[in-house]
Amino acid sequence: MGTPDLLEVRDLAFAYGDREAVRGISFSIRRGEIFGFLGPNGAGKTTTISCIAGLRRAARGTLHFEGKPFEPALRHADRARLGLVPQEVAVYEELTGRENLEFFGRLAGLRGGDLAGAVSEALELAGLAPRASDRVSSYSGGMKRRLNFAAGDLHQPGLLMLDEPTVGVDPQSRSHLFEALRGLATRGRTLLYTTHYMEEAQRLCDRVAILDQGRILGVGTPAELAEGAGISGADLEKVFLHMTGRRLRDE
Amino acid sequence: MNPLDALWTIAWKDLRMFFRDRTALLLGFALPIALCAVFGFVTRFFFASESGLSKTTLWVADLDGSEKSRDFVAALRKAGTIRLRPGLEDEAESADDLREKVEDGEAHHALVVEKGFGEDLAAGRLPKLRMFRDPDRSMEAQMVSVGLLEAFFETAGREHAPLMTARAMELIGLPPEWRDRVLAITRTFSFGIEAIFEEAEGEGILGEDGADGAGGPDFSSVMTDLIPLERVDIKPPARPKQLTYMLSHTVSGIGVMMLMFGLVACGSLLIQERERKTLDRIRMSPAPAIALLGGKYLFAAICGALQIVLLFAFGAFVFHIDVLADPVTLLVVILATLLAVSSFGILVAAWAKTIKQAEGVSTLVILVMSALGGAWFPIQIVDLPLPAKIVSRSTLTHWAVSAFQGHFWHGKSWTDPTMLTSIGVLLGFAIVAGALAWALYRRRYLRA
Repeated sequence: MGTPDLLEVRDLAFAYGDREAVRGISFSIRRGEIFGFLGPNGAGKTTTISCIAGLRRAARGTLHFEGKPFEPALRHADRARLGLVPQEVAVYEELTGRENLEFFGRLAGLRGGDLAGAVSEALELAGLAPRASDRVSSYSGGMKRRLNFAAGDLHQPGLLMLDEPTVGVDPQSRSHLFEALRGLATRGRTLLYTTHYMEEAQRLCDRVAILDQGRILGVGTPAELAEGAGISGADLEKVFLHMTGRRLRDE
Repeated sequence: MNPLDALWTIAWKDLRMFFRDRTALLLGFALPIALCAVFGFVTRFFFASESGLSKTTLWVADLDGSEKSRDFVAALRKAGTIRLRPGLEDEAESADDLREKVEDGEAHHALVVEKGFGEDLAAGRLPKLRMFRDPDRSMEAQMVSVGLLEAFFETAGREHAPLMTARAMELIGLPPEWRDRVLAITRTFSFGIEAIFEEAEGEGILGEDGADGAGGPDFSSVMTDLIPLERVDIKPPARPKQLTYMLSHTVSGIGVMMLMFGLVACGSLLIQERERKTLDRIRMSPAPAIALLGGKYLFAAICGALQIVLLFAFGAFVFHIDVLADPVTLLVVILATLLAVSSFGILVAAWAKTIKQAEGVSTLVILVMSALGGAWFPIQIVDLPLPAKIVSRSTLTHWAVSAFQGHFWHGKSWTDPTMLTSIGVLLGFAIVAGALAWALYRRRYLRA
């Protein structure tokens, strides 16, 4: 019997009133991989992440983390195994970068030397060490995004979920973020990365799930997906359009 | 994770942010003190004259200009209940000017001393006076009457007492033709009394002239002492001499009202966490669910405590309120009020979906509660009809102001039954509002 997947999602469903946003999806994330969630706007990526994080209560479905039932909405210990980098910049503008990280680190249970070490490491990772004592309100958009990322990874969670972290980010900050994510992956960390940018998924992700209208249309490496779609050698964008069609989506 | 640790982490973060927000600091600390100062000084001006009553303004025009009329105007200027206008240095006014002032609302009472005032007095007749007045200013009318009587007695002298007695008999209903009979009796009586006074003055056995010893009887004291009333002054030994009921009430009432405004503003931080998406980060942390609500509660309570300590320190320094006469009682009352008001603030925060909604509804509720509960005016001393009394007592402001007044004005200890009632009701408010806030918070924030 092999090592269980880090996270296993089975038949996950969620509805906003009558509108089904996630329609019974199943997938698993392996330890140490960057797993991409690729889908157009309104595909259900953020809702899925919210359900995994326990921020939304799924209508049905089960989660297993390292083979064990996983209920982050109910269990503090389960929540501690997850990190979230939300789509919006979720930090306090009135505080400095360091104070933001110290606050989220304390809430994650870090104290004393562990907290100080984690904060310094996160500031270095985000390239914000020289501006750590400045208020976030004085940061550029890209710096805020990097701080947003650092706050999610501060406690080095078992699974770090990044929800479209590069929206509105300048090329330099995006490049820095990609390097940081690759660095995490080489250290054996597991990431769930949602995006609707094909080239990002192609460059970063080991495996990708293509999600549309609350359903998973395919899971695998970009090459496996292309092969499965019958267009071997095609890039991820062609595979994506082949699977999801060219009809415009209302969010 | 230790819930208290998480709770303090959240409260500390909010305190840090609050103290970096100059506008919040201004609204939270400077505004209550400024309001208290304004209301306090206004209160002191209107309710703190030596006689215990404020003076009311009376305008006068002396058309006679005789020695007697000038004496009468001078006596009016000294009267305890009247502030006479125009002042000594100001230009005299005509009767038409005074009429115009009353018509324009610039004056509510204006007295015209008609020509012949001096002659009438010299001839033993009651002189003619004319008063322009706003008939709906009844409280001021009574104060003017007291001052007029005082000045008239001083000017006319004791020899006019029979004339006034005869007029009083007429006013009571005695037919005018009996006036001469009344006058004859009272003059005889008056001459007898006059002789006694002269003899007493000659022997130097007459008491001091008036309360201030400045000449002439203290008319208002004489009138009120006509009834054999034994006055027993009961007041707490710690009450400072300069403190008045209204001043004490101002500090209590403004303190409670501003506390409510401040804490409800704190409550909107919960909505801000949601709007800036940091709420999800906090919810995803291993901190227990109650930490966020509890952290906001603790932050609100700390801000409220700072606000009220500053306000009472100001009250002690400027208005001589002895806040430290019974520190234990003060602490108990502050704690009970803070718990009740913080729970109310958190309830609004948990209920409201947007900051505008929170601010709008809470402002309305606070203003209504402040008015009905007696934060603006001491409704506690008014005998309200039963329905109004029930409404007033259903507000937490009523109990908070009552508790603070019980301490500052009546000098009651927290163990006094009336104080225990106020404190108990405030704690009841805290428990009910806190439970409702928790239920709403669970539904709105935890069961998405």
